[in-house]
Amino acid sequence: MKWNNVRLVFLREVRDQLRDRRTLFTIAVLPLLLYPLLGMIFLQIAQFMREHPTSILVLGAEALPEQPALLQGAAFAEQFVMPRDQGRLRLTIQPLDDAGSPSADARQRAQRVVQAGEFDAVVVFPADFAERLAEFHERPRDEHGAPRNADAADVIPQPEVFVNTASDKSRIAADRVERVLELWREAIVSDNLRQRNVPLAATQPFQVVNTDVAQERSRRAAAWSKILPFIVLVWALTGAFYPAIDLCAGEKERGTLETLLCSPAQRSEIVWGKLFTIMVFSMATSVFNLLCMALTSVFILGRIAHLDATAAPAAIGMPPWSAVVWLLLALAPIAALFSALALAIAAFARSSKEGQYYLMPLLLVTLPLMMLPLLPTAELDLGMSLIPVTGVMLLLRALIEGQYVEALRYAVPVIAVTAVCCLVAIRWAVEQFNNESVLFRESERWGLSLWLRHVIRDRHETPTISEAVLCGLLILMVRFFASFAVSMPDSWPRFVTVTVVSLISFVATPALLMAVVLTRSPAKTLLLQRPRWVTLPMAIALAIVIHPAGVTLSEVIRSLYPISPDVVQQLHAVESLLGRAPSLWSLLIVLALVPAICEELAFRGFILSGLRHSGHKWGAIVASSVFFGATHGILQQSLSAFALGLVLGYLAVQTRSLLPGLAFHAVYNALVLALAWNADGVHHWSGWDWLLTGTGETAGYRWPVVAMSILSTVGILVWFRGLPFQPTAEESLHEAVVRGERLAETPEM
Amino acid sequence: MIHVRRVTKSYVDLRRGQFVALASISFDARPGEIFGLLGPNGAGKTTMLRILSTVLQPTSGHASVNGFDVLTQPSQVRRHIGFVSANTAVYDRMTAWEMVEYFGRLHGLAEELLRERMEDLFSRLQMNEIRDVLGAKMSTGMKQKVSIARALVHDPPVLIFDEATAGLDVLVARALLKIVAELREQGKCIVFSTHIMREAERLCDRIAVLHRGHLLAEGTYAQLAERYGDSDLEEVFFRLISWHDAGDPAAADQVYALPKKV
Repeated sequence: MKWNNVRLVFLREVRDQLRDRRTLFTIAVLPLLLYPLLGMIFLQIAQFMREHPTSILVLGAEALPEQPALLQGAAFAEQFVMPRDQGRLRLTIQPLDDAGSPSADARQRAQRVVQAGEFDAVVVFPADFAERLAEFHERPRDEHGAPRNADAADVIPQPEVFVNTASDKSRIAADRVERVLELWREAIVSDNLRQRNVPLAATQPFQVVNTDVAQERSRRAAAWSKILPFIVLVWALTGAFYPAIDLCAGEKERGTLETLLCSPAQRSEIVWGKLFTIMVFSMATSVFNLLCMALTSVFILGRIAHLDATAAPAAIGMPPWSAVVWLLLALAPIAALFSALALAIAAFARSSKEGQYYLMPLLLVTLPLMMLPLLPTAELDLGMSLIPVTGVMLLLRALIEGQYVEALRYAVPVIAVTAVCCLVAIRWAVEQFNNESVLFRESERWGLSLWLRHVIRDRHETPTISEAVLCGLLILMVRFFASFAVSMPDSWPRFVTVTVVSLISFVATPALLMAVVLTRSPAKTLLLQRPRWVTLPMAIALAIVIHPAGVTLSEVIRSLYPISPDVVQQLHAVESLLGRAPSLWSLLIVLALVPAICEELAFRGFILSGLRHSGHKWGAIVASSVFFGATHGILQQSLSAFALGLVLGYLAVQTRSLLPGLAFHAVYNALVLALAWNADGVHHWSGWDWLLTGTGETAGYRWPVVAMSILSTVGILVWFRGLPFQPTAEESLHEAVVRGERLAETPEM
Repeated sequence: MIHVRRVTKSYVDLRRGQFVALASISFDARPGEIFGLLGPNGAGKTTMLRILSTVLQPTSGHASVNGFDVLTQPSQVRRHIGFVSANTAVYDRMTAWEMVEYFGRLHGLAEELLRERMEDLFSRLQMNEIRDVLGAKMSTGMKQKVSIARALVHDPPVLIFDEATAGLDVLVARALLKIVAELREQGKCIVFSTHIMREAERLCDRIAVLHRGHLLAEGTYAQLAERYGDSDLEEVFFRLISWHDAGDPAAADQVYALPKKV
């Protein structure tokens, strides 16, 4: 790849986009208009809420007690009106029996007036309000001061406020009236107490003092750490999508893509150039929106604070500078990921119109990933850090909140996952540019039966990449749903049934069925071929030799990313079940041999065979290992299973047979079980202490053994490397292209 | 120098299953000559030329351009060809000058050489007045000129014109044909596909007739006229196509035998 060509493509695309009015509008003009507009509306509402006078009808004012007087002329007494409501309450006072009607009619009338909008709120005092209040006050009490006749609803007089909650004005009015009544009630209570010679403090025997340990800075950080990443990410995605469509689907539509494809620029150079362009626009959109939003909010918050000193929003303040810096740093990988995704999708689209259709699914997939970190329970742990977008957001949050140690621990998985996703998306985009059927795709009539017939009729010797991926996803999905349906077995025979049945029906059967239906040569697909006999003992030797290294790897993973207590409990339950196994042999058959057969058929058989059509041997091995790892329920196990999957995949590719891998897998599992069996303290074998150390949780190999293990593993893998390797047609082509291009380049150098 | 041997291209179609777009095509095109690919719409001309421009890959067979294999050395092949087709449009938001400059730079030309070439090309193709015109504002003829300038800027030894005169008015088409003829004089190897008999007759040194993915005949205009006893290329063309469509095995044999006699 020549970076000069990438730069040329990049510069051209950027200039092209900048000449496009639509792009400039979405990136620059829209936020410039949008936020001030939103801000204005917000300000208007806030102003309205505060300043708009409300009209209130008071019914039954004649029934009010003399002291303390609620009304003062035609308004509420000044001492009961909060400063902010001062002068914003317009009262209309009418007697209850205005038309000589009983009080039931007064309620109806109040309802009618509020509904009709004649008044924003109505307060109705019952006709005998003052008397009942006095009666309540004079009522004989027991020694505890409680009324003897404790039919409360009957006794306590109730003024009623009528409000129409569907109307903002009415709600505001009711709030204001309630505030007034509240203050008035307090005045009445303190009057009562004074008359009975009870000190006012008796009503509040103690006060709760809230001491907030969060400092002003970290409080602001916590608030912003939830809002900012979300806004930034949403805009990064939107900012990536439209340029991506224009750069790929749009070019296809306008016919300029073929012009570019027959220039000497390589597909990867074109893709990288376009990717950088999309990234620039994605980041620019995000930053510009953030900037406009910040400016607007500074202005609005200032105005609100100016309007009313007690207003709450001003308390959030501006985000701390460190938060902004971290945010900008995190924006780059996120923008890269979104840009790569958008690019791949846009490259797949035939026209810009088709591209627009894909925005919704993309949003539907990524939005939950962005919402997940907003959950109160979401914390940065291994599981979360392995979820693409969520991990970055949580890491970002930890950084903004200043938890650097925690962030550092999970930075590696987060960055690794993001990088892998980016690379996969970029590769996918390059594939789209290489894929003739995508580049020159024409609309075809699509029908289910036509398509099914096509799948069966035009099937290949081994599965296609998409069939392999489908198989992997199918296995994952079935296992996921089955895990809800199947309860934890409580006895050894039941454990055997559950394990064996689920392995055979959820792992082996999908792969076998798909191999029979979708391929012309199931035997070749599932690698059911006899290997050179010497590979079998070598594979078994590899399993034995690699075991100490594998155990140590799992330990390292567990100590870095501890397993949660719930899961540990589950594991213990399983372990105690295993301890009840009648013999080691039955254990080995159920947990070593059966899984080896089923998993090898699926992951090294169907899935790896299909993925190898990608033309990249290691890419296929890694992808099949990801599926293999993902089927292991516990994350920490998945990581070590992934590493073993790489070795298993390599064995399958080098030996062209499933058997060596199967032998390796079975022996490796058997060793794990034997180690656990030995370490559980019941079945301890003596005489192995020179090799093993510890019991129970800490059981493992001594470190010289581990070092030896790594060395010999490398040695045996080198031996496997020496076996004659048979590339697929795509792999040979890829190799020929690499060689051909290199041959052509050398003389020119 | 183009060398095509038994190139086959087949697609999988939802309805028809395997669909053969090119069936074992072989031909050679030499420097200093114009090789005409003549065929009705859907004959496979564009597919063949897209394979030569490495945008498509052959299902089987070999093709090489200037000694570089289209399958294994695609970027070298692209470096040595200039490809003009009805499908290779110009950028809407780029001026003629910027467009040609961009492709010149992608070909890795030094700035000085590039400037020199461009000045020369722009005056030769009479494009100086559209230097600063955006692609979106150009007429079809202007666009085609920009495409040709874009294809010539790196002075490639091989030029491929795929239905290059489609949609052009007589004046511009004549000018284009003149340019193509000049390029032959410069010793370029040119492949020119068309469905217009007169163009092929006037311009091409050798003609291959392509129909439904099969190469029906190949030879100079004189050879074809002599072999089929008719000096009208259109007549020869019709006869070949109707033989092929009738599925007459004897005629088909004869047809397939022809290229070897050349």
